[in-house]
Amino acid sequence: MNIFIALTAGLLLGYVLKRLNMRSNLEIPISVALLAMIFFLGVKTGEVQVSGLWLLGVSALFAVLTIAGSLLLAEVVR
Amino acid sequence: MRFLYLVLASLTIGTLVGHFFSPDFGNAYELMLYVLIFMIGMDLGMNFNAEELRKVGRKALVLPFLTLTGSILGGLLASLILGIEPRWGLAIGAGCGWYSLTGPIIAQYSAVYGAVGFLGNLMREILTIMFYPIAIRKIDPEKAVVIGGATTMDTTLPIITKFGGREVALVAFVHGFILTAVVPFLVPLILSL
Repeated sequence: MNIFIALTAGLLLGYVLKRLNMRSNLEIPISVALLAMIFFLGVKTGEVQVSGLWLLGVSALFAVLTIAGSLLLAEVVR
Repeated sequence: MRFLYLVLASLTIGTLVGHFFSPDFGNAYELMLYVLIFMIGMDLGMNFNAEELRKVGRKALVLPFLTLTGSILGGLLASLILGIEPRWGLAIGAGCGWYSLTGPIIAQYSAVYGAVGFLGNLMREILTIMFYPIAIRKIDPEKAVVIGGATTMDTTLPIITKFGGREVALVAFVHGFILTAVVPFLVPLILSL
């Protein structure tokens, strides 16, 4: 639920800033926050005892099947 | 591409630090997540343009729906094959390639599946960069945009534009934009079910 609050608050503030013509470039702050968060995600993952090979295999399966699902529907429906 | 290396380096260093030192960073992770989500919201709010949506018409509005549904079904199938709880598969699939958002949101519930959500969606982005140019030899370049999921409005847009052509660029952008607006709401919603 907190995710929705943060997202909605950001959306509203961004829209207000746009209306006031006070746009700012958030590319660098977002990149820095992202890298810091990924580091902390890595720390959390590293604390859990899990096989790296299993993680890679499972992730690859998800990547391939989600792409295949999207492509299949796009081919069949349209 | 350079940022992708930084992302991989950040994840690898974090994993090694966590594995060997198990430091206590308190709630720094959650804090960064909320800051990031807030800034993503701001960015979306500042760049919202209804005119662009109108320009590309109905087809670009249908495509994201197909991408999302297919991706969720693919995630569900993967979870059934692996014998894991379907909600993890649904949430990972609903991420549509947005690894930096999907992984951290899922990690609030499970660190392991958070990592799978992160890596699986990161691989989707990498596979799009590698295979979009090859896929469009067999598939209509507009349809092939679905491979990239939510990333088609930013990181994979240059590849799509370069190989698919300028006319595909707008479809790709709107496709990614719609998914980018939906995914932050859908992933937590699935996890809360």
